Amino acid sequence: MAMFFIFFILTQRITSIIVSGVQAGGYSAICGQCGEVDWRVSEEGRFYCNSCHNVIERTREEVDTNTLMVGTSRVSSISKGIKGKGLERGREWFVCEGFQFILKHQAEALLAMGVSPRFKDEVLCQFWRMYLQKSRQAYTKNPVHDGKFRMHSQGSQESGCDSESPVPSDSMMSASETDGDASGAGSGSGRLSGDEVSSVCSGSKDAVCYLTPRQRRNQKLMSMPKTLALCHLALLWSREAITLADLLRFVSQGHIPYVNAYENFPEEMKLYGQDSIIFRVESIPSHGRLHKEARTLAVFLGLPPFPPVTPDCLLHPSLLTVRYLTEANLPDELHDWVCRIMMIAGLASDMTFEPMRSRSPLPLYDIQAAALIIIAMKLLFKLDDNTEWDLSNYSADQNKDNPDGNNFSLRRWYRTVQSALTKATQTQNDNTARKHWKSEKPLYPSRKDKSVILKRRRIAEQLQLSFQKLSRSPTAPAPSPPSSFCFRWAGEGETGRDGPSLHHQTLDSSVCRRGGTLQPLNPEYWHPAPRACKTRVSTSHYAEAEATLPRMFVWLLDLFSFLLGVKPGCVYDQVQKLERCILRNSKQQPGARTTPRKARASKPGDGKQTGKTCSR
Amino acid sequence: MDDLESELREPGEDQVENESSDDESINRKRIKKPNLPLAPPVFKETHHETGFHKTTRICFQHIREALLHHRWENATEYMASYAQTLEDTTASMSQHCAEIIWRMGTEMLHQRPDSKLEDYNSFYERIKNSGVKHYLKVCLEHSFHLLVNGQFEDAKRQLSNALSWRYGKQLTSQPQRMKLVQAYSGFLDYFVWCDKKNAISSTDEYNAGTNQEMHSYFRQSSVNLKEILKIPGVWDPFIQSYVDMLEFYSDHEGAFAVLSDYAYDSSFPPNPNAHVYLYMHMKKHNHPSKKLLKVLKILHTLVPSHELMLEYCFLLLKSEKEGDLQKALGVVLDLLDYVCWKRNLDVWNQLMTVLEYLMLKDQWLVVIAEEMSHRKDWWLAMHFSKFQARKDFAENTELLDVKSSVVHALCPHYASIYCSACKEAQKKAGNALNDFKTAKRDVKPRKGKRRRKTSVTQKKYLQRRRVERQRQSFLKAASKRPHLPVRHRRELFVQSSC
Repeated sequence: MAMFFIFFILTQRITSIIVSGVQAGGYSAICGQCGEVDWRVSEEGRFYCNSCHNVIERTREEVDTNTLMVGTSRVSSISKGIKGKGLERGREWFVCEGFQFILKHQAEALLAMGVSPRFKDEVLCQFWRMYLQKSRQAYTKNPVHDGKFRMHSQGSQESGCDSESPVPSDSMMSASETDGDASGAGSGSGRLSGDEVSSVCSGSKDAVCYLTPRQRRNQKLMSMPKTLALCHLALLWSREAITLADLLRFVSQGHIPYVNAYENFPEEMKLYGQDSIIFRVESIPSHGRLHKEARTLAVFLGLPPFPPVTPDCLLHPSLLTVRYLTEANLPDELHDWVCRIMMIAGLASDMTFEPMRSRSPLPLYDIQAAALIIIAMKLLFKLDDNTEWDLSNYSADQNKDNPDGNNFSLRRWYRTVQSALTKATQTQNDNTARKHWKSEKPLYPSRKDKSVILKRRRIAEQLQLSFQKLSRSPTAPAPSPPSSFCFRWAGEGETGRDGPSLHHQTLDSSVCRRGGTLQPLNPEYWHPAPRACKTRVSTSHYAEAEATLPRMFVWLLDLFSFLLGVKPGCVYDQVQKLERCILRNSKQQPGARTTPRKARASKPGDGKQTGKTCSR
Repeated sequence: MDDLESELREPGEDQVENESSDDESINRKRIKKPNLPLAPPVFKETHHETGFHKTTRICFQHIREALLHHRWENATEYMASYAQTLEDTTASMSQHCAEIIWRMGTEMLHQRPDSKLEDYNSFYERIKNSGVKHYLKVCLEHSFHLLVNGQFEDAKRQLSNALSWRYGKQLTSQPQRMKLVQAYSGFLDYFVWCDKKNAISSTDEYNAGTNQEMHSYFRQSSVNLKEILKIPGVWDPFIQSYVDMLEFYSDHEGAFAVLSDYAYDSSFPPNPNAHVYLYMHMKKHNHPSKKLLKVLKILHTLVPSHELMLEYCFLLLKSEKEGDLQKALGVVLDLLDYVCWKRNLDVWNQLMTVLEYLMLKDQWLVVIAEEMSHRKDWWLAMHFSKFQARKDFAENTELLDVKSSVVHALCPHYASIYCSACKEAQKKAGNALNDFKTAKRDVKPRKGKRRRKTSVTQKKYLQRRRVERQRQSFLKAASKRPHLPVRHRRELFVQSSC
């Protein structure tokens, strides 16, 4: 049934335009041999007369860019105005159709990474339909682009097509699967009335609508970051093990199409003019921005409560922390402590997200897990630039006394991870410097600029080629296959590129048994003094606090911020948030024996540690 | 077609400054930066930086680092990805980047051991296509490079390409650059002309066709060169070639007019060479010495240490005019103010001559006192110290003689210092020789006794040998100089005999 796009359907593939593309569009001089005006372009790009096969000294503009002749200053304005308008226009399409293509490709890339097939057809596709309906772009009687065109129902080719009645979206999980692959571009059955062409310069029909100040202000219409936000919501809904940080990393590594995603549009969907503002991507959105965007989108869509994230789900902190412990090369034993903290912080139960409840935030699973690990590290090693080194001396001594001892030494861990981190940061920096943002098919904001932009593109390409030739080494580093892990730690008998694995080490030298339970050897815990935040909008205080924090703690924040691709401030804020949570909870149940003892708020920079141990 | 409007806008660097948030500016005020003479950063990290700009910024930093550490290969690699900045959509930046790519790319090509001319050619062609702002400059650089590599014809073609360029009048600075390109093209025509001239002179045959051709090159070249000479600037090679051609066609008046315009036009920057050329030309064509003096006087105010000042002094001595003698003294003393002339025998001889002339006059002491008044405190100390005396003695005794007679005339007080130092040095040299001789005599009989009581150490022995060598060369030089005063010769003789 339901055709995915009632609006965007064109019965006529504009074959005539395609044909005229083969013709020598626009060149209308009379042939010197026969007097006819019927020019064609041969495969080599030469113009020839179709009636007498007379080849003339005129070539098409798109010459191979590599063969720029040396010693000539060829000016590229030869073919200005040759091409007909019909060729440029292609067929008529809508902006959301373009976004649908991009979403489709993104979903396919995610599927290729092993996401369950349900994700695309049953979740993302449904979300997209809901979005189209909510934003009155489809499945509605009064579309947002009213008055510009009317629909003619063809309704014969595909069964159950009913363009007059909007598709009910209430039953979103039971929607059909016929067009789940979201390839709305080809399956057309509606037709635009007349051949009216919007006077504005754009490839799509409704780019102007997208760019009116009003539409921009209410931000309901689609944008490139929103495609990722939608993917993220769909991934959360289907409880896939891809966190937002992972998604962003895959995007920046190019495993998920985002930068220049419009390149994959079919040939007849031409982009130019205003489209370029909508589809051009010059940066990858930050973690925070996308998180906000996803939440706004979820509220806009009016989504029901998300399926709960149970402890057996990979997104749940209990499993996610295992992943990050592995990533950070920390011993597995630390997970017990993380779990204890999780219990106190109240994160051990199922987690969910209810967009329609105002006090239900969209959980930041990845940053939360990192914060839990940091708190556990603080609990065990204090991380005040003193205690942790004393403890590592102690464990080193123990290892010396007992040759079989396998005690975790923070110093050794720090050295291993630090060298790997430095290397990885350099590599990342290097990759950033070499990243290619510009497309093979450049977008031009107006027809006037077309020749300039094409020329720039050509020159940039030629320069790039010549420098590559000069450097005699492949510039592009071999793309690594998508992986959830940044580091590769070598286990027993393996060779890892980043250093030996410390997962099997024990925390025996850092904990002791007191009163039947394991307690950390380090009796104190510190945290920055909580203070009232005056501003309504919560902003990060990390920049002010950074100088007063212990270096080891800052380093740990840096490590996790690198792993997650966020700013250290985000991790710091999350740590503080969890600490507040733990403080509140431990006050409510003062008798709890498993509670890691909290110190009174103290600044490590103050010189006096007012940290207080609890009962021994 | 090029995006002229956007290129012609000035780079909006101030705009970027303004965009930074207020908080930042407050912070900047509070934290006062140390006032170090650092170059302003080319690309700053801004608050709302796009990923593309971040990439280009980091890439630029990497290239810079690689260049500073001479890792050319590495820099070239990054350059490949830096090329995408040309596609920057912010209008002002892309021109800026084109210049960066041009400068750094040329540097990389220069540093590569196996850069071929084709690489340069294709690189320059691409850069020329990247925008209108630098087109003419790149064209000039390209033709220079071709000239350096002996591709004269190609270089000429490059320049004529630049001349026929259609955007040449878009920027305010471009007409001037265009004139410069014209001038260089005329300059190259001059070289062709020179070739033809040499060809004619070598065959010694009159060939009307070649002559005609040569003349057409002359006309072509002179039109272009004349144009650039109207613009204030330093055009030494152009004017030389132009004058050369004019003189060949015996247009001496024209050459003189061009040269005097070049020298005396006040809108031109002061250029000593202009006066030198004018003087040479006038001297060649036997202009009266009064006019020559006028030219040299200006040159003297511009460059008092110029080598033509010796000639100036000579001319002043020859002139009969009252007061010219004092001027000549001033000119020579001015020359001797400069370290480069400090040990020049000709200048000291000239000074001696001037002094001799002066001594014939009545008031010569007054004149000398007048000239010496403003350099008394340092001039004598510079030339007539003990150290100088020893040095002159060691290196050039002729100079020593002239100087000592000069100092006697100028300042008897310093004469005593200088001459006593001279004598000391001479005595020392004599003593050293004596010591050496006695030492030699002493050492000889002990030769068989395995240096049992060697009073002369190896070091002293070497030192004496050195002194002996100096003495030998001194004696040799003295014997060659017949005009050496007799007194000195006797002294030498006495010393060497003892």
